[in-house]
Order: sequence, then C-alpha cells, then structure tokens
Amino acid sequence: MTASTAGTPPERSLARTGGKLRAWFSKPANVILLLFCIALIVLTLYPLFSMLSEMFLVHSPERSMVRKMGLKVGDFTTVHFDKLLFTLDDGIGGDFTTSNSWINFYQPLLNTLLVSVSASAIAILFGGVVAFLITRTNISCKKFISGVFVFPYIMPSWTLATFWQTFFKNTQIGLGTSNGIMASVFGVYMPEWFVYGPFPIALVLGLHYAPFAYILIGGILRNMDANLEEAATILKTGRSRIIRKITLPIVKPAMLSTLLLVFASSMSAYSVPVFLGNPVRYYTLSTKMKSMMDTYPGQAYIMVAVMIIFGVGILLINQKVTNSRKQFTTVTGKSGQVSLIDLNAGKRIIAAVLVIILLMVAVVPLVTFALESVIIKAGDYSLSNMTLDFWLGKGLTYLDQGDDTGILLSAKVWKALGYSLLLAVSCALIAGTCGVLIGYGVARRRGSRLANWVNNLSFFPYLMPSLAFGAIYLSMSSKLSVPLGLGVLILAGSIKYMPFATRSGVSAMLQLSGEIEEAAVITGVSWWKRMLRVIFPIQKSSFLSGYLLPMVSCMRELSLFVLLVPTSNTILTTMLMQYSEKGWAQFGNAINLLIIVVVLLINFVVNKLTGASIDKGVGG
Amino acid sequence: MPEIILEHVSKRFEKFVAVDDLNLQIANNDFITLLGPSGCGKTTTLRMIAGLETPTEGRILIGGKVVFDAAKGINLPPIKRDVGFLFQNYALWPHMTVYQNIAFGLENLKWDKARIRSRVDELLKLMRIEEFEKRYPSELSGGQQQRVAIARTLAPGPKVLFMDEPLSNLDAKLRMEMRTELKRLHKDTDSTFVYVTHDQLEAMTLSTRVCIMKNGLLQQYAPPLVMYNDPANLFVADFMGNPSMNFTDGTWENGTVTFGGLSARFTPDEEAAIPRDVVVGIRPEYISLNSEGAYTGKVYSTLPSGMETTVKLDVNGTPLTAVVFGDVDWPVDTEVRFDFTKSALLYDRESGKRITRGKLGR
Repeated sequence: MTASTAGTPPERSLARTGGKLRAWFSKPANVILLLFCIALIVLTLYPLFSMLSEMFLVHSPERSMVRKMGLKVGDFTTVHFDKLLFTLDDGIGGDFTTSNSWINFYQPLLNTLLVSVSASAIAILFGGVVAFLITRTNISCKKFISGVFVFPYIMPSWTLATFWQTFFKNTQIGLGTSNGIMASVFGVYMPEWFVYGPFPIALVLGLHYAPFAYILIGGILRNMDANLEEAATILKTGRSRIIRKITLPIVKPAMLSTLLLVFASSMSAYSVPVFLGNPVRYYTLSTKMKSMMDTYPGQAYIMVAVMIIFGVGILLINQKVTNSRKQFTTVTGKSGQVSLIDLNAGKRIIAAVLVIILLMVAVVPLVTFALESVIIKAGDYSLSNMTLDFWLGKGLTYLDQGDDTGILLSAKVWKALGYSLLLAVSCALIAGTCGVLIGYGVARRRGSRLANWVNNLSFFPYLMPSLAFGAIYLSMSSKLSVPLGLGVLILAGSIKYMPFATRSGVSAMLQLSGEIEEAAVITGVSWWKRMLRVIFPIQKSSFLSGYLLPMVSCMRELSLFVLLVPTSNTILTTMLMQYSEKGWAQFGNAINLLIIVVVLLINFVVNKLTGASIDKGVGG
Repeated sequence: MPEIILEHVSKRFEKFVAVDDLNLQIANNDFITLLGPSGCGKTTTLRMIAGLETPTEGRILIGGKVVFDAAKGINLPPIKRDVGFLFQNYALWPHMTVYQNIAFGLENLKWDKARIRSRVDELLKLMRIEEFEKRYPSELSGGQQQRVAIARTLAPGPKVLFMDEPLSNLDAKLRMEMRTELKRLHKDTDSTFVYVTHDQLEAMTLSTRVCIMKNGLLQQYAPPLVMYNDPANLFVADFMGNPSMNFTDGTWENGTVTFGGLSARFTPDEEAAIPRDVVVGIRPEYISLNSEGAYTGKVYSTLPSGMETTVKLDVNGTPLTAVVFGDVDWPVDTEVRFDFTKSALLYDRESGKRITRGKLGR
C-alpha cells in the first residue's frame, strides 16, 4: 500500500462512513424500510407495551375499589391481578364457583376453550369432508356447492348468529321477549341449550370458518400429485387404505394449520358469543372483557393480554408446524386427473343434502332478515302484519323503537353507511399502499435484518385478536388524549389489516425479478416512475387484492371498532350492535341485511373487476 | 407368460384423439420403448395398459387374460393387473421413510413382518441404498429417490414393469449410470419392461423393440437397429439418430437419382416401383470425406466433439451433414471431396413413406 495524500486516517474513515451512509440512503428501499420500521414500532409495539402497563395502573372507574388501599388514579398496583386471577372465594362463605376470579376469568376462559375447540373440530370436519367430496369424488353440482360454500366466510361473522337467534328464539328462554319463526310459524319451542350458549356458538363459528378449512385443505388436495395415490393403487392398496395411509397424512399439516388458525379466530370472536351467549349470561373471554372494560379496565386489560398470549402462542406453533419437515411440497404431477371415487347413487343424494345445508346456511338467513324487518308485531308472519315502514316509513309513531324513520330514509343510517364506506376505503388505501411499499422494500433488501424486522412487525397485528387490538388503541388514545373519531378508526383499521396487504405485496414483489427494475434504472427512470409505470402495472392484480381485502374486511368488521367508535359517529356495524342491544329487532334486521348486501356487492364487484375469487383453485 | 396385446386401442379426450387404433404385441421378457415427441400418446398408452386410464375403444390382454374390452365392458382395476409402475416424478410418499415406502406394497399383500423385512433388505441391497433406510424422501438426492422408487415398484415382484420417463429428472451422468442399471435389472428380474421416453438415444440403447408414435398413431414397431437403418417413413428417419439423417428432394430416372446438383446411380436392395419425385435419405456417417471422392462440396462449418466431428457441407447450395471419426478440423470454405458409402433410402415425396433401401454410387 502506498501512502495516500487524501488526509489523515481518521478523516478518511469519517468520509468513508459518510459516503456509506449516503449510498445507503440513496436506495429507496432502505429509506422505505427505515420509515416503516419506525412507524410500525410506534403503531404496534408501543401500543402493546402501553396496554400492558395498563394492567398495573388504577383507572378512574376503579377509584372506589382501591380507596381503602390508599391508591389514587394512575398509581401502580397489582390489585387487578389479585382480583381477576387469585380471588378464589367470594368472601361471604360461598364456594369457588361464586368467586370473582371464577366468574370473571376462569369460567369465561373455560367457555372460550370449549367453544373454540368445538368450533375448530366442526370447521375441519365439515370443510374437510366437503373438500374431499369436491376434489375426490364424482358428486353432482360441484360448481354450485363450491361457489356457495364460501358464502358464510364472505358474510359478516354474526350473520349466522343473528339468524340463529332470530329463527329459534322463543318466549320460554333467554330474554324471552318474542317468538322467532320456529316458534310462531311451526309452533316448536326449541330448548335453551339449542338456542343459546356453547352449542350454537360453537356450531355457528364452526360453520363460519368451515370455508376457511375447505379452501386450505381443498387447495392441498387439488394440488396433490395424483401419482402419489396412483402409486398406491398399483401396489394393490384398497380405497380406504389409500385415504387413511396416503391422502390423510399428506393433508395433515394443512389440517393442523387450519385447526390452529380456526382455534385462534374462534377464541377472539366477539360478535357470535355476544348474540348467542349474552342473553343467557354465557360469557367468553372476549365478551367478558368488553363488559368489564367500562367498570374494571385494569382487569379487562389483563384479559386482553391473555388473549394475545394465546394468539401469539398459537401462531408460533403454527409457524413451527408449517416450517417443519412434515410440511410436504406437493408438486402437481403430469396426470392431472385423479380417478374420482364413484359415489354411484350417492352422488345425487349427498349433493342434495349438502345443497340443503348450504341453502340453510347461506340463503335462508338473508330471507329471514328480510322477513323480520317487515313485520310489525314480533312472531306474527301473516301478510296483514307486514309493512315496509322500517325501510321506507316516515314520521312513524307506532314503531316504539327509538327512531321514527325507515332506515333507507334515515339520515342517521345513511351517515353511518357513509362513515363505514369512508372508513373502509381509507383503510384500504392506506393499508394497500403500505403493503406495496413494504413489499418493495422487503423484496429488494431480502434477507437483511431490517427487512426481516419490518416484515415481522407488519405481520404482528395479525397475531392480536381484533377486540384486543381495539382495546390497545382505546388505551393509547386516552393516554395521549386524542379524541376518538374517524381518525383513530382509520388508523386502527389500516394497521390491523396491513398484514393482508403486506403479504400480497411481498409475494408479488418477490415474483418480480430485480432485473425488471434494473432495466429501468439503467435508462435513468426515476424511482416514482419506476413504481408507477413499471412495477405496479406488472403485478397489478396482486397489489389490487392487497387493497381490496382490507376494504371488504373493514366493511364487515365489528370487534375491532366496537370499543373505538364514538357515540356521535357510529358506523353501520356498531349501529347494528346498539340496535340489537336495545332489542329493536326490525331495524336491526334491516341494517343487518343492508350490511350483508353491501359486503356481498363489494365482493361481487371485486370478483368481476379483478377475477379474483375466494374459492378459486378448489372449485370443481 | 406375461405377453401384452393391444388390439385396436383408442383413447379420446372429448374431441382430442390421444391414441388412435393402436395394435401392439409385446412378447414375454421384452424391453419395449414407447418413443415419440411430447403429446404423441405414449404416456396415455402406458397408463391404459396399467389400468390408470380407461381406453375409449379396443381390447387389452395381459398374459392371455383380457384386462380391458370396450365391447364387452371388461375393465380390470390396476390392482388386478399384476403390474408395477414407475412414475416420472417417482411419487414417493413424503410422509414415509424409505423402508416404509418399499414395504407398503408388501403389507397390502398381507406378508408377515419377517418376510417383508427380508424382502426390503434384499431390495435395499440390490439398489445399493441400504444406508438410507430410515430417511425420508426429501432427504435424498434425485438419483437416490429414483432407486427407492424402483425398489418400491420391484418389491412385490411384478412380472410386468411400466416406466414413465423415469430418468428425465436426472442429470446426464446419472442418467447414463441408471440406464446401465435398468438394462441389467431387466436381465436380473426376468420380467417384461415397457418404457416411455422421448429420448431416442435412451430407446436405442435400452430396448429390444421400439414403438415409435406420432399424434396418437403408431409409426413403426421394430428392434432399434432395424429402426435406425431402415426407418419406415420420414418422421421415424428424422426422429432416430443424432445428428439426424440428411434429407434432400431428388428425382429418379433410369437408375439414377439427381439431388442437390449431383447425380448418382442408385441400386435398390429390393424390387420396388420408384416414382419420379423422391426424397433421398442419407445417414451422416455414410458420407465419407476423402481426397479421391467422386463429389465435391464446400465446408460450411465443422463441429468437432472429440470422438467424432460433424462436418456441415454446402453442395451446390444444398446442405449435407457428414460425420467423421476423430477430430478433424477443416477451415471454413475449404473444398472437399466425398463419396456415399453403405446405404441410402428413398422416400415417397408425397406420402413420406419408405420406398426402398439401396446403394448410392458412381
């Protein structure tokens, strides 16, 4: 080495560092990743820790509870843990089952586990069996079954719950205010266990998530190399042994993964247990948490923490399952056509049974809502008792349901619908754009520590139950004294649904070879132009789905927003919630129908515009 | 014993005809290759014999037993046909170890544990994969997976073994090695092999008879050397051999063919009515470059590959390919002299069918 004339060594190394930094910042991918890393830490990690700290603080509703202990609002305390987890007697000589901890925590926790396990089992069984029938047998009406089967997954999760309640409720059980169709038309009074409580909650959740199982398991079955089964056939294996020894073990990882995801989703489900549990005081963690949020926020936040721990735990297990050796890549062989099992006469009978179930699950609810929204006196379904007043009436005095205007003429409803749409569109724009940018950054700097951080941080909101996520933002907004309003809703919605957008953004960008962008860099095209004119157009459909998924989800979301919506600016879903709590059945049903129609409409338009269909790749 | 006979077998997928009126007799202990470009119906044929695909028409017999007859509605499932099948992508079960994969078929036959153990051991040894017994397929290389697949197929000792391009996923060196093994295996197992490939060299080197197909139609069914030296039509002639045969339009008149600006006497090997318009087919190795040659051409380019050299000639504007043993390198545009040795073939220019074989000379 020869001595350099360019200054003394320290100066040179400083200049080198400066040059390195400049070079680092000159790459758009680095800047994007850095900005998102900071933003996501502020918007996900910070709220999480701030919420965790709430577990140790005294809140104003809790003043009276801790006054004897000499604590003021804002003081540090562990009393919430004592109350919620360790108060195992009721202090007046009763046994464990009347204690505060049992009623407020252990009972709801056990209920949650019971309901979630049953729901997962139902979803796997129903979804898996249908996936098998569609991909491996010659059952009739494949197209129809496949298309309608995913309906419950597209519709809001409470659709089936409210239908169940509306259809089977009667005066002898629950709140007992009125008779549903089953009691008044057919004269059958269903027992309480059938209408409310764990059975219907598990069933409804199971049916709602069955399409999810169907899509995952069906996808594996469809893409599974047919040669694997043919090889067994050649070796003289019987049908049932092939299914038991070859097919099932190969779909097992997908089934396990479905099981865990359904379990996690059922656990954090809020709207279904509210509709089917609350009337008989059957609480799950999420419903109990919501009801305690106003009176004992400290304890409620502990419940949120428990839910998050469950969520994160399950997703970690899932990652382990999907990453292990047991996850099989099932490359499609060249024989596309598996020989289908001939169901003979059964192919029509089974199809008919399925079609009836699907109609019950997907179509009858809508009809019921329509019917319930036009009758004047509950339980009377004669034509003389019907009116369109709840939809189109004006200045009505006899309704006795708060409002005097039909929902289609009510400024309040239109305003709520407007807010809902505005919220959905804003969240979609923010989440979708962030997804594209994060995808770009992560793909360009693949494998770097910063890219991994951003990728994981952006996935983080997926791990948190919606209700818990809402609670976190509630706690943060009160801490920072930001008033609740559309801004907070948009922020929460965008962050919560960002994982959808990021996932499609990252995978779309990874498919795109870097050379495509480099070809534009060589000819001196600016970064903006490269994004808008080259990269976005090529992966348009993937990116679009990153915009549309958050939009549809936002439109039907209840649990995330229920804690955050200010009373002055309700959105449609929380409005439905209020009406249902007040027992305004007709208005509630009308709004329910309105939401479902809007969601289905958006979904339909999305399908038509982008060609993306949720059941694609499984359908017969 | 396991002679396979196909009579008028056809397979149609809706309007597309995959196999058209195929007649084939596969003798016991044959090593048959179904050869042809992709989409010619060779895999479909194999799958139909194995029972994985149902023919639209025809009759199939294995070992004198009718396994399929469209007219009589007979269609035995693969289980009852007593055959083995080796898939292109091996189709090893990913959730089972090597041992479990091989033992699976034997369990179906209700063999007892000890017998299964000894049979699997025997195969592991035969295929030289003893040390992988406890591994999963994903932990094996392509060649090892291939061996496991063969072991699994051979385990129940099928008298007929079907193979669907089993070597196409291997690299060139390994493919060569496995070819040797397969040929050896054919002798050792004493069974009938039916092998599908699109690689003419594989067909040439392995089989006792080759069945060449195009668009679902049988083109020629003959031992490989017969097919090489006396191809039945232009398609077969072109498909067999690398570098491929020279084809030049020519005219026949009074014992002389004129092609590419030169004329040569043609002595047919057999009596045949030869039309005026013919295509002359000459194997590159039957064009000999020597200083006393009767014909002249210019070297267009030379492609030496060490053992042999392919010389592309320009003969009065007509390209001809010659192969010379050893590495000879001619500068481009050198004038060279050549002769035609051994044989040449005449094909009907209209139908592309073989007319006769014969000798070209002065």
